[in-house]
Amino acid sequence: MPRQNSRRQFLAQVGAAGAGTMLPTSRLVAAFGEATKSKSRVVVARDEALTKGRLSEHRDLITKLLDAAMQRLTNAPDAVGAWRQLFDPGDRVGIKVNTLGLYTQPAVVDAIVNGLKQAGVPAEKIIIWDRFDVELARAGFKLNKSSQGVQCRGTDAEQVGSGYERQIESSGRIGSCFSRIATRQIDVLISVPVLKDHNLAGASLGMKNFYGAIHNPNKYHDHNCDPYIVDVVSHRYIRDKWRLTVCDATRAQYNAGPGRHPGFAWSFGGLIVGTDYVAADAVAADLLDTQRKVKGLKALADDGRPAKHISTAAARGLGEADLGKIDRIEV
Amino acid sequence: MDDLSNLFCQPTRRDLMRWGVACGAAGALCHIDIQHAFPQDVAGGLDLAGPRLKGVVRHPAMFWEKLDENRVKCVLCPRECQVADVERGYCGVRENQVGEYQTLVYGALCSANVDPIEKKPLFHYQPGTTAFSIATAGCNIECKFCQNWQISQFRPEQVESIPVDPERLIAACKARQSPTIAYTYSEPVIFYEYMHDTAALAREHGIGSVMISNGYIQEEPLRRLCRHLTGVKIDFKAFTERFYAESCAGELKPVLKTLEVLKDIGIWLELVVLIVPTLNDSPDEIRRMGEWVIEHLGPDVPMHFTRFHPTYRVTNLPRTPVSTLERCRQIALDAGVHYVYAGNVAMHPSENTYCHNCQHELIRRLGFRVRFNRITDGKCPNCGTNIPGVWSQEQALAFKPRT
Repeated sequence: MPRQNSRRQFLAQVGAAGAGTMLPTSRLVAAFGEATKSKSRVVVARDEALTKGRLSEHRDLITKLLDAAMQRLTNAPDAVGAWRQLFDPGDRVGIKVNTLGLYTQPAVVDAIVNGLKQAGVPAEKIIIWDRFDVELARAGFKLNKSSQGVQCRGTDAEQVGSGYERQIESSGRIGSCFSRIATRQIDVLISVPVLKDHNLAGASLGMKNFYGAIHNPNKYHDHNCDPYIVDVVSHRYIRDKWRLTVCDATRAQYNAGPGRHPGFAWSFGGLIVGTDYVAADAVAADLLDTQRKVKGLKALADDGRPAKHISTAAARGLGEADLGKIDRIEV
Repeated sequence: MDDLSNLFCQPTRRDLMRWGVACGAAGALCHIDIQHAFPQDVAGGLDLAGPRLKGVVRHPAMFWEKLDENRVKCVLCPRECQVADVERGYCGVRENQVGEYQTLVYGALCSANVDPIEKKPLFHYQPGTTAFSIATAGCNIECKFCQNWQISQFRPEQVESIPVDPERLIAACKARQSPTIAYTYSEPVIFYEYMHDTAALAREHGIGSVMISNGYIQEEPLRRLCRHLTGVKIDFKAFTERFYAESCAGELKPVLKTLEVLKDIGIWLELVVLIVPTLNDSPDEIRRMGEWVIEHLGPDVPMHFTRFHPTYRVTNLPRTPVSTLERCRQIALDAGVHYVYAGNVAMHPSENTYCHNCQHELIRRLGFRVRFNRITDGKCPNCGTNIPGVWSQEQALAFKPRT
């Protein structure tokens, strides 16, 4: 039965959609219900057990943690319902991981794949991707370029039709060729960054992760990568497809990123999940700053590398960056 | 020289045919895939094809400093990128690996052709000879009108390349009887190490080296490099900081510094200014540029005003009117520059060289071909005036930096 909305409810829904979620309005309403229309919700899910041992030993725990986060995010009665609110069986889903430096943990991606399958998305319609095959393999992902099972490949895997588009696309100040995986092979994007410091952008999170979708990210690191990061995610290839952020905070790094630096490693043991990607990044950046303070380091802004792109994204209406206006839920 | 139309020489039918062939060949060679270039267009009978590079080569970079937390600071070009571990500089071809800076393009050639030296363009450097021209991927600026953006604005993994060490390149150059290697197409500063080593070795083999560059390089690496080079052409993009910032993601000031250093070194130098309608074609800007050249470089540095064609990120502007090039040329001549050319306008009389003293026609060009060259022993045969330039291989190889 279609639900009748009041004029006020309708306006609130439209406002929430305009505020930056990548969901179509109808899906947004279905996903969040009335209670969350006016506030972006971000779930920070942690489990102390994840801070110890090898993550590959905690696959079930990570899956349970993510499912719980998805339930809280969507107000769904169960995990299956949560994933189904965001994904359809007909979706072709690209899971954009980060394999440069401190990388996305395969166990976290396995949990996401499990959720997608619960939503009815066939394995063959799921692509785990980043820039290079070699970096994916180094991070522990099993490359799969066959037509069977979950796909996993880098944009450089030309032989299966990826590579970059030949046409330069302009968006704000950037001019870039986008990965054909993003432009042609998927309809829906999930960004799976790592909670980590970045020496220029301040933080390398969900939005910065899409530097891996363009051919020339090296050109866009001046001025703390701002507004270039926002220019990338504002492009229709990203903006119109991005549906969920799952920031991998199982193994994080609060300084000297994005490369691995054991001296600043941080076993946070959690995930940061949201559909408003600006809000998800804002919460993640706040966690980074909190940890830096605990360790006696300057806040990112005071260290000359504020994560300006988050507020820029909010100023452009892509989402919510004001922590006071974000519905932050701890699981 | 006042009325260019008086100087225009109607080409013969034979000239036109030659020019057509030359332009067709040159156009095809402008940027061609290495897999076609090396075995056929460059290597000839030599077996230089070999396997394509998979991934990147890694070679220690020159001109960088260590910072804390495994970061490095590159001091090769004026950007002075501070690069974290696993990250790359702006050029996209230099990478920090655990606090060690590496170049990823040492000998990774993505373009290689035998071009007329006139195509660089170098008009006062052994006219009518060829230059074995090479490039790797990458550039340290981003001109929104770049004609070779498919290689200059990509990273090495994204461009098909062939590994060619300096020895092999020199052997290929000798086989094609080119007296010169030109480091060109993309931006040779970003493959500095390879250019440096190759140019040094080339000299030992009697081969000259010319750098076709944007001039975005720091003084120390430039001086060290010029010990081995025999000529330089600089793309002088404009004479305003605004143009450099908005159209090239760079700055004018470092380029002016480079030009002054080159003057001080004493190496043969020519300048090219690509005139983009409405962006860098104001008469006042060209006048100030010409005056700066006279004051800082002297009247004998040739200037080429070349024609823009819509490409890359500037597709909303028309081709440069020939009349604009003629006007720029006249302004520079009026400022006192002795040799000023219009480029990318085939068969225009201002592609020819005229003695700055007596206006005698010294070199007639048709496209990239030299129809005749009357310069004798570096002098005008009509009035005996010394014509600035490099007119023989002996002269090229005799060059030593003045300072």
